[in-house]
Amino acid sequence: MTTTDRMPDVLALQAKLAGHRFIVERSFAAALLLAMEMHRPLLLEGEAGVGKTEVAKALARLLDVPLIRLQCYEGLDAHAALYEWNYVHQLLAIKLFEQDARPLRDKEQDIFSERYLLKRPLLEAITTTPAPVLLIDEIDRTDEAFEAYLLELLSDFQLSIPELGVIRATERPYVILTSNATREISDALRRRCLYQYVDYPTFQRELMIVRTQVPEVPEALARQIVEFVHAVREMALRRKPGLAETLDWVAALLRLGVSALDENGVDRVMDSLAALVKTREDQASLTRPVVEKLVASC
Amino acid sequence: MLSAVDSTLQHDLADRLAARYAGFAGWLRANAFCVTSADVAATLEVVRRMGQTDRDVLRWSLRALLCSRAQEWRRFDELFDAYFAAPNRRKLVETRAGGAGPLSHDDGACGPSDASEGTPVSLAGRGDGAAGEGAAANEGAALAESLAHADFRHLNDRDELFAIDAAIRRFAQRLRGIETRREQRASLGRTIDLRWTLRRSVSRGGLPVELGWRRKRRQRPRIVLLLDVSRSMSLYSFFFLRLARVLSGRLPDVHSFIFHTRLVCVDEALRDPDPRRAQERLHLISEGWAGGTRIGESLASFNEHYAPRLLHARTAVVIVSDGYDAGDVSALGESLAAIRRRCHSLVWLNPLAVRPGFQPVSAGMQAALPHLDLFAGARDLAGLERIFPQILEALQ
Repeated sequence: MTTTDRMPDVLALQAKLAGHRFIVERSFAAALLLAMEMHRPLLLEGEAGVGKTEVAKALARLLDVPLIRLQCYEGLDAHAALYEWNYVHQLLAIKLFEQDARPLRDKEQDIFSERYLLKRPLLEAITTTPAPVLLIDEIDRTDEAFEAYLLELLSDFQLSIPELGVIRATERPYVILTSNATREISDALRRRCLYQYVDYPTFQRELMIVRTQVPEVPEALARQIVEFVHAVREMALRRKPGLAETLDWVAALLRLGVSALDENGVDRVMDSLAALVKTREDQASLTRPVVEKLVASC
Repeated sequence: MLSAVDSTLQHDLADRLAARYAGFAGWLRANAFCVTSADVAATLEVVRRMGQTDRDVLRWSLRALLCSRAQEWRRFDELFDAYFAAPNRRKLVETRAGGAGPLSHDDGACGPSDASEGTPVSLAGRGDGAAGEGAAANEGAALAESLAHADFRHLNDRDELFAIDAAIRRFAQRLRGIETRREQRASLGRTIDLRWTLRRSVSRGGLPVELGWRRKRRQRPRIVLLLDVSRSMSLYSFFFLRLARVLSGRLPDVHSFIFHTRLVCVDEALRDPDPRRAQERLHLISEGWAGGTRIGESLASFNEHYAPRLLHARTAVVIVSDGYDAGDVSALGESLAAIRRRCHSLVWLNPLAVRPGFQPVSAGMQAALPHLDLFAGARDLAGLERIFPQILEALQ
């Protein structure tokens, strides 16, 4: 066993990600580094709107490789995710081959060659070079059957196509899976992944994110906004505002010309709350007195 | 000569370190983590890659590798410190994974939901000695104050279990499932699957000799059982608990909760293969319950903690209760409306409703009726089998 100190590498990755306007905690950078080195998929779980999807985008920017995204939904099947034969072209080819004098075996091989294969995201991800970042978004929305399709891909980075044989990855893609935990994911899938729970950001981190994503916002206002959002998250809401909502709200406030959260700006704050809370019940619970109190405490 | 000694020493040290890290995976498994033998090998690889000089890097790396769900994530730091840090140098590292919502409340889904959760096994008194003691003490308590809390002693009546099992098997066979919007390929169906037909015709030179069909997929509903175990229900609740135990053994997607003054998930307890231990777990869960039934509040807590994860358009919710609610009746109506909005069907079984001349006049039942797909009476197996057709119809 070696005794190398890897902390500098972790810090370097964190800094590089920050250079691509993506702020992460050190522990997250360590997990990401490990996932990249071991070529293991990384499963991100957490509330909606905490920036899970952004991880993949930032990683693709950082490595300067393409991002291939598979958005999961209920009823997603192998044809939409892995590959499909282009039947129409195959049939046309059969008609054309009727005049052809080649032996049958050659014709058949030709019909089931890669020319007639439509690549869907997963097949595309393992055949692209350089290795892309593969984002499998909201895996909890698919059904168990689809999870089973993924197992072969995620453990061996290969796909079996009955007519063609096994296609192995030329270079292993960097795989990021995200889940909002609306459904329990199978242990078999979890075992193949490294795991990271993504929580709402801390005050410092959220402030940094706001400052990097929206550089034109004044320091004092950013501080107030983040404090306000953190106070709102403490309330018993049906759906807590995530990072995406914070950034939306900052943009909304800037558009309305708010320069500081104070008593004079309560009207405009009320107007812009639509960017922050997004259910009827939650908007009803953020009444004017409540907002005034929150603004005063920021 | 010296270097030979040196190398054996080094070799010995490497072995011992490897054993130390392998032991950590075992320690996590003993604490109800889902860790496999493949993870042990991966642990050594992670240690080799990330080095062992920096404790934080090691902690973060192993956490990413060995955790696989949010509950484990939250307990990891404590277990890591307990294993690696010398007792006097442990410091509290807080894993930030607070945030309300479904993740922080699904403790019922993994591991026992007793008071010892969160503490390392060895600290919480591992081994069956302690559990056995607790069991004996509880049995004494149960005999003495069998009316003070729900009594689960009759959970395992063999003959009745067999009878219920046979009935549930018939029920499961007849449960065809809910028709979903998604279609699937079928040998017979209503619409032609053009793609598949084309695919099949490739081998016939393009002639569609065999047609491929599609039809709507049917899926069995997820069943969520909410059982009232209050004193007024005590005559019937054993039967329904037995039913829940059999049902969750027979069908894959069944989730059971009991409520009285509050609501608890009993999936783990019911699935325990040891019937005695299942009984004990239920005892422990219901310890200290007293006072009137609060159906409305229990259902509200169900809505808050479990509904987002459990209820979807193919969920059937079955509530078993006599409808005598000591809490706020308007809360009951609201909670039921919220459940009804999210699920496929809502069934209420009332054991009292089999009595001749029964009218659902209690305030609780009155508040509930507008939201129900089916309201029926059942208090034993014969009664339940009589209404199976109605239940099946409501579920699909």
